[in-house]
Amino acid sequence: MTVQTVRDVEFGEDLPVFDPDTTLDNVIRFTEAAGWRGPRFTDHEAARKEGLPGALVPGIMSQGFLCAMIHRWAPPARIVEVDTIFRAPVIVDQAYHINGVVTDIDEDAGRVEVDLTVTNDKGETRVFGTAKVDLPTAGT
Amino acid sequence: MILDLHTHSIKSDDGRAKVENYCQWIRTRELPIDGFVLTEHRQFDLESDYSGLAGEFGLTILKGAEVETEYGHVLVFGVTEPLMQEFDFGNIHLPLARVIEACESHGAVPVPCHPGRKRVGMSAHLEEHGVPEGVRIVEIYNGGSRDNEDQVAQDMARDLGYLGIGGSDAHIVSHVGRCATRFPAPITSEQVLVEALNAGEFEAVTFREAG
Amino acid sequence: MSALDIEALRDQWIGVQFEERAFELDAAAMAEYAKACGEVAGLYTDPEDPDFQAPPTFASSLQRGRGLPENFPQMPGLGMDAGKAVEAFAPIRPGPKTSRTHMHDIYTKTGRSGRMIFLVVRMALYDDAGTHLANADTRVVIREKPTGEEA
Repeated sequence: MTVQTVRDVEFGEDLPVFDPDTTLDNVIRFTEAAGWRGPRFTDHEAARKEGLPGALVPGIMSQGFLCAMIHRWAPPARIVEVDTIFRAPVIVDQAYHINGVVTDIDEDAGRVEVDLTVTNDKGETRVFGTAKVDLPTAGT
Repeated sequence: MILDLHTHSIKSDDGRAKVENYCQWIRTRELPIDGFVLTEHRQFDLESDYSGLAGEFGLTILKGAEVETEYGHVLVFGVTEPLMQEFDFGNIHLPLARVIEACESHGAVPVPCHPGRKRVGMSAHLEEHGVPEGVRIVEIYNGGSRDNEDQVAQDMARDLGYLGIGGSDAHIVSHVGRCATRFPAPITSEQVLVEALNAGEFEAVTFREAG
Repeated sequence: MSALDIEALRDQWIGVQFEERAFELDAAAMAEYAKACGEVAGLYTDPEDPDFQAPPTFASSLQRGRGLPENFPQMPGLGMDAGKAVEAFAPIRPGPKTSRTHMHDIYTKTGRSGRMIFLVVRMALYDDAGTHLANADTRVVIREKPTGEEA
């Protein structure tokens, strides 16, 4: 069930896990749309020649995944702040999982804070972040 | 008593967690820890008083610091104002020997953290700088470790005869309590923490598998 | 680079605006961005939606180029994207926009990759009425000794 108002949210609740599409085709689609073309994002071999473990999912795409996760959980959400810290590369064509949890609620203001973590299959954090999200208050 | 000995709040440049939210999280998720130590990067937070939150949530909230040396990052427990006059906590090129000497003079305990980590961990610098004098305790469970970093830390601790602590290295609320340290008796203050560390009465624990 | 040099850089550059750009946001590209990120609501994916807008992080994609002032000193290492932050004040919709970019912060720390210098660049985004829509911060980390290892 999706969240409609701030009163639907509980402190500590988990957002539904979101597995982002990090396939090369989707990353190419993203870089075309965002105007961030570059072989380090779209060509594994070229990225390895730069000393990288493989083509990188752009940081701005990871950031976009976090927004999508929040919007899927709470369609009326208005994201007012997203802060992401890149701890390790997110590699194209590898599997990642995004977890989110509610870490603060201001019911009067209709604002919640969410922790967001991008992990790989080994459970290692690659990207983490926080978001401040405004939701309708009950009865509005 | 189980304490997470390595956490960061919004007082750290890359910390995103409010201390109150750590408390709420620990209680709401029923984490098996009894408190935490705030070890802000390159500073000791003199002014913040968390005694109200500690009382409200029934948790122990203590303060330490995480400083930076040629051997990597080092947690400091038992920070006092006189200790803060001994070296610049904001200096990212502190000599570890200086930090250890100052801690010994002022009754504080230095603990190299995430020592199995590339470059910033102590083990990466042993070949270049040799085994440092005066280290007795290192962090062997760190909640932010990747790959085999904790194993490297544990191997180093075993080989060099160090005791081990655990800490989450949490920067966001939901990461608190991933690793911690168990003490046989209550830890009620920084001074008691220092005494327990000096007595070697503790055990590193990890809760990561349990989520 | 020594800490003293960083202090000089801070004094010289923090607050300095070094770019202003006018451009047009294309609805189709905004929708493609949203779909690639996994957005499903028509609000973000359908340019015909009456409330069509970009997800707020779209603002981050509008930063271009090296992202530093032209005469900013060459950094002694490889630049990597260490993090991004967006503050959203109003919806980002298709049409003409203006961005103004300034050096917001400079600081140092150490990490897995050794000594690092962080440069925080802030781009402020405005619509053609002058409404401040968003701030997009980029934290670039300069590793003093590039090794080709993971960041």
